[in-house]
Amino acid sequence: MAEIDLDVRVIPPGEKHPAIFRAFDALSAGEAFTLINDHDPFPLRRQFEAMRAGQFEWTYTEKGPVVWRVRIAKNKS
Amino acid sequence: MKVSLSTAASPGAALDALGVACQGRGLNGIELVLEPGDDLEATAERVRASGVQLVALRVEQLEPSKINPLARLSGALSVPLSVPHDRTGGTSLPELAQRFKDAGGSLLYGVGTDLAQVLSAKAELLKAENPASIGLAWEIRPGSEALSEASAVLLALREHLRLVRLYGGGPEQREQDGRGIGPLFVDLAISGYGGSVVLTPSTPEELPRWGAWLASRKSAGCGSGHPPLGEHELDIRDVEPRDRLSMILGAFGALPRGATLRITLDHDPSCMYYALEESQPQGSFAFRKIGDGPQVWNAEVTKV
Repeated sequence: MAEIDLDVRVIPPGEKHPAIFRAFDALSAGEAFTLINDHDPFPLRRQFEAMRAGQFEWTYTEKGPVVWRVRIAKNKS
Repeated sequence: MKVSLSTAASPGAALDALGVACQGRGLNGIELVLEPGDDLEATAERVRASGVQLVALRVEQLEPSKINPLARLSGALSVPLSVPHDRTGGTSLPELAQRFKDAGGSLLYGVGTDLAQVLSAKAELLKAENPASIGLAWEIRPGSEALSEASAVLLALREHLRLVRLYGGGPEQREQDGRGIGPLFVDLAISGYGGSVVLTPSTPEELPRWGAWLASRKSAGCGSGHPPLGEHELDIRDVEPRDRLSMILGAFGALPRGATLRITLDHDPSCMYYALEESQPQGSFAFRKIGDGPQVWNAEVTKV
């Protein structure tokens, strides 16, 4: 399966978080996507912990200062 | 996917200056819009001298006399040229495909979020015998076009999709909220699209805002008419996403005990709650979300 890059800088503010959860929910177990953003999405990580507890792996692959990249993987159940 | 910028966002700007502005925004590469009077022979050298990474060329109309020079330029720079599907000057697609192939270039037909249009362009594409030298550029206009057919369009064009052009984003992002850009880009990402998404202004009237957006990483340049706010009120709708958290955390830090900060946002404030939870001692704040969009949300944060 091809690498999935989701650059949320092109997504308007109100649609960003729903889009990210939509992308995560579309993954099969063991798949991942890379989230690209213009700031550290640490609140989103908390939101994942609250809403998708135990279902994901969160790995920073780039930490600013201009662009942040996080690989979000769906755990094998 | 890579997010790139069209020179249409800053007509007349020097390429190297635009390259610097792109770096400040973390954008990958530039689409060069060619005007009818441009000296095409000198363009390749101009691009090389600027040092910018070019992702595509663009013309709004393909003049028959310019086909060969444009094909050569596309080949020399190893980037595709996009043109609106109905502005190819009457030359048949197989003929265009052959000429671009001979010059080592490639041509992309620009199509909208319109299934009938995409299917007809695709049928033409299949008639040509040089699939490597032709493809489709998806032109997404959230401001003037319904995106309801986006999923079907993506399905129809994905094998030919080489470029995405978004009329908006950047400083226009907020007005395009709720138009369906989020689901569209999720579907695009899941389809495995790894090419460029070129941001370009939706109308020439937007150019001053694009200029301000590119010149400053801090300002969205919206110049909105939101009224001045009272004490402990914060409207962050005009603040760029990247600066929002630090502004809210700063305002919370300055808040006296027992006081309540009222925040106005253009997205669900739940992430603000998580930011406070991450950064503040447990039990130091109370958070209340007011309303549920879809355009405006409010939240109240009380310092305990």
